[in-house]
Amino acid sequence: MAAEKISSPATPIPSTRPTRVATPRNFETTAWVFMRYSAILLIPLAFGHMILQDVIVGVHNIDIDYVKMRWDLLAWRIYDAALLAFAFAHGMNGFRQVLMDYIRSERAFRIVSWVLLIGWLVITVIGAAAIVGGVSQ
Amino acid sequence: MSSSSMRTTLKGYVEYRGREGQWSFLLHRITGLGVLLFLTIHILDTATVYFLPSLYTEVMDLYRSTIFGLGEVALVFCLFFHGVNGIRIAYLDLWKPTSWTPESERRSAVIALVVTLVLFVPSAVIMLRNLLIHNYGLFGG
Repeated sequence: MAAEKISSPATPIPSTRPTRVATPRNFETTAWVFMRYSAILLIPLAFGHMILQDVIVGVHNIDIDYVKMRWDLLAWRIYDAALLAFAFAHGMNGFRQVLMDYIRSERAFRIVSWVLLIGWLVITVIGAAAIVGGVSQ
Repeated sequence: MSSSSMRTTLKGYVEYRGREGQWSFLLHRITGLGVLLFLTIHILDTATVYFLPSLYTEVMDLYRSTIFGLGEVALVFCLFFHGVNGIRIAYLDLWKPTSWTPESERRSAVIALVVTLVLFVPSAVIMLRNLLIHNYGLFGG
């Protein structure tokens, strides 16, 4: 069973009231806690980015000059770097946690986890390179 | 997982009568995967400003099309729901786990959906208006 295999500290659904359980100090516990704290951080970061770009500015007003103007300000590059780091890590780990529910084989899950880790790393590096390098003329 | 156990899982999602808690679990999962799909594409499309700037213009033309504009509205719903419901989960798990009771969870799940709609509806109106202005010349566009 998935629960025995991974010993995930997922919240148990109680019949009446929740009870405290001992959580193992392992990677899955750290990942579980990371998802919750990064969620709190992502509210201002992701909501702010989406409300500004999709609702206030709008896709019809975004072009390469707009990106250049925005990234001329170092603060926006730091903001975007934080968004890239936390949102994509949160998303990829969330995807891994979802797959944990459907992949029964421990070996297959380990392979999938490595593929996701490498994919996460490669795409994060590509995104970070663009933020550091800026708009090419 | 095999196709038969996948079918069992999906059948269980539909037939299990977990009410608000179950629907919020499913919606959280679907919206999260939807946002991740867009986020992955979005990191790569933005990276073209550095790696291949001429492609960025073409990408933006695609995003300005009506079909992508409607997809963008769906994305905004996904992120608002996932964020608001995520805060509910983080708050309950980290600071108020005793509120994970069926009654309390039903209430907080409905509140999360209402807050989502309060954020989403005005955003969707503004975005659809922009779409009609730019793509169909309405409202004096």
